[in-house]
Amino acid sequence: MSEAAVHITGVTKRFDATVAVRELSLVVPRGSVYGLLGPNGAGKTTTIRMILNIIAPDSGTLSVLGRPHLDEAVTNRVGYLPEERGLYKKMQVRRVLRFLAELKGVKPKVADQRINKWLERLDLKTAEKDWGNAKVDELSRGMQQKVQFIGTLLHEPDLVILDEPFSGLDPVNSQALKDAIVELKRDGKTVIFSTHLMDNAERLCDSVCIIAHGEKVLDGEVAAVKAARGTRNVALSIDGEVTGAVRQVLADTTLVARMDDQNRYFEIQLANKANPQELLHRVLAAGASVLRFELISPSLHQIFLERVGATGVEEGMSGHG
Amino acid sequence: MGKMFVVFKREYLERVRSKWFIIATVLGPVFLGLVTVMPIVLAARTKSSAQLSNIVIIDATGSDLGARVSKALSNTTPGATAPRVRVVKAEQVAAEEKRATTEVMERDALGYLVLDANTIGGKQMRYAGRNASAVVDVQSLSTMVRQSLLNMRLEREGIDPGRVSMLTAVRLETKTEKISDRGKEGTSGLASLFFGYGIALVLYMMIAIYGQSIMRGVLEEKTTRVAEVVVSSVKPDVLLTGKILGSGSVAVTQVIVWLGMTFLMYLVRVPILKAFGAAPAMIGGALKIPTVPPTVGVALFLFFVLGFVFYAALFGAVGAMVSNQEDIQQAATPVMIMLVSSIIFMQPILMNPSSSLAVTMSILPFSAPLMMPLRMALVAVPWYEIVGALASVAVGCAVAIWLSARIYRVGLLMYGKRPSVRELGRWIRMS
Repeated sequence: MSEAAVHITGVTKRFDATVAVRELSLVVPRGSVYGLLGPNGAGKTTTIRMILNIIAPDSGTLSVLGRPHLDEAVTNRVGYLPEERGLYKKMQVRRVLRFLAELKGVKPKVADQRINKWLERLDLKTAEKDWGNAKVDELSRGMQQKVQFIGTLLHEPDLVILDEPFSGLDPVNSQALKDAIVELKRDGKTVIFSTHLMDNAERLCDSVCIIAHGEKVLDGEVAAVKAARGTRNVALSIDGEVTGAVRQVLADTTLVARMDDQNRYFEIQLANKANPQELLHRVLAAGASVLRFELISPSLHQIFLERVGATGVEEGMSGHG
Repeated sequence: MGKMFVVFKREYLERVRSKWFIIATVLGPVFLGLVTVMPIVLAARTKSSAQLSNIVIIDATGSDLGARVSKALSNTTPGATAPRVRVVKAEQVAAEEKRATTEVMERDALGYLVLDANTIGGKQMRYAGRNASAVVDVQSLSTMVRQSLLNMRLEREGIDPGRVSMLTAVRLETKTEKISDRGKEGTSGLASLFFGYGIALVLYMMIAIYGQSIMRGVLEEKTTRVAEVVVSSVKPDVLLTGKILGSGSVAVTQVIVWLGMTFLMYLVRVPILKAFGAAPAMIGGALKIPTVPPTVGVALFLFFVLGFVFYAALFGAVGAMVSNQEDIQQAATPVMIMLVSSIIFMQPILMNPSSSLAVTMSILPFSAPLMMPLRMALVAVPWYEIVGALASVAVGCAVAIWLSARIYRVGLLMYGKRPSVRELGRWIRMS
């Protein structure tokens, strides 16, 4: 299994009475971007912590980069950005970063060079101001997040694990993070990130695993996961107001099995044996001005909702972001 | 090992760089120096007040005792207002006292002294005045009256006044010296008392201050969530060990700097004491550093290191147990009780360093690091007791580290309310 970056087999973890992760098995291919998807409390963070050997599984085996995850040498090749971010507040930024790099076995001299490179790249070191010499608590929240991200990558890990990396990021930083993930992949690194934002996952991930209530719902390459669902979905965009007549058509259960109504955009799952052409005719006949009518594979978001269902969706769950 | 050193280095450097450390390290010896020098200086300054002779002496003895006291007073404080002697009859004393009281109230006099038949009988004299609670003043007054009375009696027995003053001029000073198994120590018993007290107190201070700072450090790592990043790179046990050794080294650094500065101050003690106005006679005897044989030094160091590790490990576990500042003091109470109980028993042990209480306290692992050094400074402790205490503390250390590492491993990633004792038990079994 040398091509697997992470290989998990039948892993279970209990906390007192609750089972956080049950009989989970998954394979993260090397060099891929892998999404760990699921609602809050599904067991994503627990899974990640087990991969990192922060907590031990009750049963099952894990291997990371081709070695048992207990192997000390492996930890130096893994970079981790936890969901709850934090740094030593009273410490100088440069010293924190050097500490994090040295913990991963980077020589202080090498670390200093890389720190400077990264600080410049993320605009934390400019001609006017070098934030590297400031204390962590003098930095804004956004800047602290950048520093933490630098700390994750300073030792140039082969495997990067990001727990909910997009939460709390503004659009600019969110974009920067996506760029960084794509770049890591281009450099041949493996990236695992957990998220409950399906749109991000659909665009970024090569493969995904959806878990809910600590159990795997489905996993595989995104393309394969979607192809397996066939093209029984329709993307429909309507220009102008959506009239009652149109809504009536969409409510016809002989045509439409499920529908994600986003006001002027609809993702429709066709009912069994329904003909998409008939749907188009009916919508046009109802007087709608159709901008887009396309047979598509279901979005991850749809698959997720379908498989996890309303029960798996807790507060804070969102498909868009 | 490499990663532990990284943790150690961060812990050490960040603490040593902090303003608090620099201030405490520099000011510590200055403060200690003042504490040592002040008593000597104060002792030198504690003479009876210069205005002692400005009093009214009501003499109802029918003798020249009042005049004699007045003369003695004037001799000790030359240049000051001489006492006003009023020779009266016994029944006039009350009226005279009233008058004198008014004078004291109007600040014409400092106080008044009543000499009567009781005084002649060698039983009692009375003094009332603004300085009636000044022990030194009252003592020198009574010394003078006693002396004058003695002189008077001797002269009445027909002894020549010149011979009387020569025979009664006795100034006695007590010099104490300590004898141990090794023979005479050359230092006073008081000095080794202070030495033992000092060592126990410094150990206590260091453990309390640095132990609690480890506790806060762990809590900070938890609340800022740095802990999670760090434990993804190092094992919690390694992290805890690195932290304890790091802060411990800071404490050792501080003590070494203090000792160094104290030694420097000792070298220049004479000019310093002179600057404070201490009499040369006092300088010679007052400050003598007790000699510490190397074996005792090694034992003291071991007690310090083991004691520190014992408490640091426990404090570290407490830090990992809680999630916020409010809970931490309460959670630390059991550890603090162990630490403070040693200090509470310090007084009785000082009084009787060979009692069974003292022996027990100096062998129990939680109190031995403080109490054994104290006893060692006071009495000659048999070597087997010292070795036994060291072994006991070492075992205590091993247990504390084992327990703490387990609590730490689980607690570091647990947030929420403080665990109950039963939950703690589960944490310990869990890891």
